[in-house]
Amino acid sequence: MPQLPIEEQGTGGQPRIGTDEWVASVEERRQRRGGLVGSLLEQWQRLPLWAPLLAVAAFGLLFPFLTESDYVVRVGFNALVFALLALGLNIVVGYAGLLDLGYIAFFGFGAYAYALLSSNKFDVHLPTIPSVLIVVVASALLGLLLGLPSGRVTGDYLAIVTLFFAQIFVTFTTNANRIIPPWRDTPIDLTGGPNGIGGVDPFSVFGVEAIAVSSYFYIALVLVVLGMLGLHILSESRTGRAWKAVREDPLAAEAMTIPVFKLKLLAFAFGAATAGLTGSLFAAQQIGVFPQNFELPLLITIYAMVILGGAGSIPGVVLGAITITVALEVLRGPDDARLLFYGAILLGLAIAIRPWQRLVAVLTGTAVFGFLVHLIVGSLWPRGTARVAAEGEGLVGTLVEAWVLLPTQPGTIGNVAFVMLVASVLVMTLLRPVWRPVALVPSLYLAAFVWENRLIFQPSVTRLLILGALLVVLMNARPQGLFGTARVEIV
Amino acid sequence: MSALLELRGVSLSFGGLQVLDSLDLHVDEGEIVSVIGPNGAGKTTLFNVVTGLYRPDRGEILLDGESIVGLATNAIATRGVARTFQTIRLFLNMTVKENVMAATYGKTRAGPLRSILRTPGVRREEREVAALAEEKLGFFGQRLMGYRWDQPAYSLSYANRRRLEIARATAVNPRILLLDEPAAGMNPVETHEITELIGTLRTDGGYTILVIEHDMHVVEGISDRVVALDHGVKIAEGTFDAVATDPRVIEAYLGTKAAVST
Amino acid sequence: MDGTFLLQQFVNGLTLGSVYALIALGYSLVYGILKLLNFAHGEVYMIGAFIGYFVLIGLGGPGDLAVPVVVALTLMFLAAMLGSGILGVLIERFAYRRLRNAPRIAPLITALGVSFFLQSTALLLFGAKFRSYSTFQFLSGGIEVAGVRISTTRILVVVAAFSLMVALTLLVGRTRLGKAMRATAFDREAAAMMGIDVDRVIVATFLIGSILAGAAGVMFGLVFFSVYHLMGFTAGLKGFTAAVVGGIGHIPGAMLGGLLIGLAEAFSAGYISSTFQDLIVFSILIAVMLFRPTGLLGKADIRKV
Repeated sequence: MPQLPIEEQGTGGQPRIGTDEWVASVEERRQRRGGLVGSLLEQWQRLPLWAPLLAVAAFGLLFPFLTESDYVVRVGFNALVFALLALGLNIVVGYAGLLDLGYIAFFGFGAYAYALLSSNKFDVHLPTIPSVLIVVVASALLGLLLGLPSGRVTGDYLAIVTLFFAQIFVTFTTNANRIIPPWRDTPIDLTGGPNGIGGVDPFSVFGVEAIAVSSYFYIALVLVVLGMLGLHILSESRTGRAWKAVREDPLAAEAMTIPVFKLKLLAFAFGAATAGLTGSLFAAQQIGVFPQNFELPLLITIYAMVILGGAGSIPGVVLGAITITVALEVLRGPDDARLLFYGAILLGLAIAIRPWQRLVAVLTGTAVFGFLVHLIVGSLWPRGTARVAAEGEGLVGTLVEAWVLLPTQPGTIGNVAFVMLVASVLVMTLLRPVWRPVALVPSLYLAAFVWENRLIFQPSVTRLLILGALLVVLMNARPQGLFGTARVEIV
Repeated sequence: MSALLELRGVSLSFGGLQVLDSLDLHVDEGEIVSVIGPNGAGKTTLFNVVTGLYRPDRGEILLDGESIVGLATNAIATRGVARTFQTIRLFLNMTVKENVMAATYGKTRAGPLRSILRTPGVRREEREVAALAEEKLGFFGQRLMGYRWDQPAYSLSYANRRRLEIARATAVNPRILLLDEPAAGMNPVETHEITELIGTLRTDGGYTILVIEHDMHVVEGISDRVVALDHGVKIAEGTFDAVATDPRVIEAYLGTKAAVST
Repeated sequence: MDGTFLLQQFVNGLTLGSVYALIALGYSLVYGILKLLNFAHGEVYMIGAFIGYFVLIGLGGPGDLAVPVVVALTLMFLAAMLGSGILGVLIERFAYRRLRNAPRIAPLITALGVSFFLQSTALLLFGAKFRSYSTFQFLSGGIEVAGVRISTTRILVVVAAFSLMVALTLLVGRTRLGKAMRATAFDREAAAMMGIDVDRVIVATFLIGSILAGAAGVMFGLVFFSVYHLMGFTAGLKGFTAAVVGGIGHIPGAMLGGLLIGLAEAFSAGYISSTFQDLIVFSILIAVMLFRPTGLLGKADIRKV
């Protein structure tokens, strides 16, 4: 037990105003948010790692039994795959502070390498364990290679170089089915081009083959739990401290005996190894790999997960991964997507607007505003607004039809409304806080309008929009994400 | 007897600007040497050259008789040259204790893979590192002890940040400690404390210290020897009294008239 | 393959290089002032290309122009430059301004998000279909030099790009705004203390860079016809490479770098294979970064410790 300074021993451990400890914890008090959300977050941050770890493990163990649908288990598997990727990226970005935008190339490399070693492609069928080991080591080496520029160039350049690398990876795998080396006449097919590599061997350990999705789910679960544990231990170790020092101030770290460049390489290697391992798992489950699996949207998705969860926080990034995976899945089906959309907005409003009276006022105002607009416009152009809500059932559909304007030809006006929505959001950031709730009312209605008339029809684009916007909003408003701790920087 | 740290004919220029010019300097074991000079004299550059941030154009730098020119900064640090910075460079988002523990990297060996496995050797090393950090922090009295260990470094006051930076430097277990303006920004009470602290670092800690300072009270209180620089050239060397009254030094600080009138 | 082919590739390279040079200038200018790599710059270029396209359609389309070709081209350029310029200013104002003093990772990730958001917006609003300028329908003809045919379009593009670069050089070198830009790029705080309105200078920089990108977008559309929502991504990467190769923060460097990258791409497409031209450009980037990080014309950046 650390020795408390003498004058505080009488207070029973609770810091008194004005004493050193109270002053020292001022930043923590500043970061606290009031209300329910604040205390929830505080409880969360106080938890030692094993609590969320246990929760993940327990829930994961039960999960495949909670549902009969293979599809749901597959979603769970995807979430765990993303969680693994997020954990790996957490090392590079969250611990060492390096912006590696080529990260998914390691994921792809791992997948392709495993596919080349254990599939019908070249009829090489290495057993699982040696195959995966080779993949992990090779990925780590590739990570070292890509990390080499980090010694000579600053963070921004590194970002571009790694991004370019990811692009090259996709180009290469898409085109490497027609390479004609100088010593041959006919092309060799290395990666199967746009059709990828099929017939990949499933995982098989000690004679037991993993075929069902649930098997892979459990394998992924074990990996995630081990990963969380391993990373936590690592972050408290000598290497973890050195990484954090490198992130804080590379110059000072170097002067304090820390070999900065070597540690950057190490971070790259660890991140790449994790991604490569995940890639092999992914390839085995999918029984195939295709270049389209590893393109830019995937990168953005993983970054959104890491930033949302809180870079540097192990349970945070896992939770971020799970949340976003689930949200994106829900976005696929219009009904659920609608619920998610409105639900998320309501949640966001509930968190952002306090006290609750104001929240109620805004919501009522929006509802009334909507009905009024619908009434007025509907009576002026009855035929132009008579569309049925997209796949709405029963009550929800009726509500939507009664409240939101649904022009018969939503296309162009939906586009215009979208641009207007973006504009109105931007304008709202300029307004003084007094006026914001007022401006919020038409904006919320506009958002519902855009959703019902444009976004709901194209879930694949909508998810991309949301991810991109999420990154921008998070970095501007809450860069530490949900569960990270706010960092203090001197520039 | 050879010096602990020795610079011979060290020169460095940036473009057309000669920052260090044929500098000869030595620090013997157990000494406290102060470097003074007007701003722009090249004092911090001197530190940067010794710690390997810059490579001198010419000259030799010897630590314990071995050349350290051209070595990487972290290698030089591991060999025993630790420094603090003029503009305190702490690892702000790490705790006080972590800041100090981080500096033990060069002297410890636990690799990442072994660390994950938590072998007995790794665990023992962690305990030793933690104990070392506590010991080094204890040098400063109660100020950086107890609950402070787990406070983030950004929560410390300015004076405490300086102390932490010095503590962190001592965790390197250096042969020589380079302190860059340790009393900068301190009020008279704190300045007095720092003066005493530097003395204690030598007597109790056994450190050899090279200090850059502007505050002449501090310089007077701690130095065995004083070296004065101006425009990258050594213009005086000797005891404090000798250097303080040296006309060249007075001219550098206050101008020719002042020097003439002495 | 003979001298004619070589010359043909040279012409291609020059045209492409002019486009890249304009994009690279945008990167260079913004990096010089904010030390920020504006990922979203490629998307600004893409939007410019689309604006030009829609103006073209609005004027009757490539086969049926309602106005003389010169007028159409002028309108396309002006609209694209204006639109892109405004977009660039908006991006700075709402995505980057708050992060001016944040650690470098923050604006970079934000830029990534903006880039992605704009790409997706274009996909939402315009769809995934490739649009074509079909320039040959309203602008044809050309000259022949040493057996190589150079179309009017290409001449137009190169001349226009060159004029813009000259205009920029004059702006930065001879005007008060240009002086303020150079001062701010050198030391932002000192510039502020000298009475320069740093915010306005930054806005002006984004505006100018984005205007150039918008023009580049239209040029690309005119020469290479196809316009689609992903075109900004690769062009952005290559534009950045050009800026780095020439020396980032350095205006003549960006121009030189653009031309070099354009030529490299044209020659590799012509002589080696078009599928690997990206790889070659990437290799050039790596090589420059490893062996001459300040670029061909750049100066070393001296920072005080």
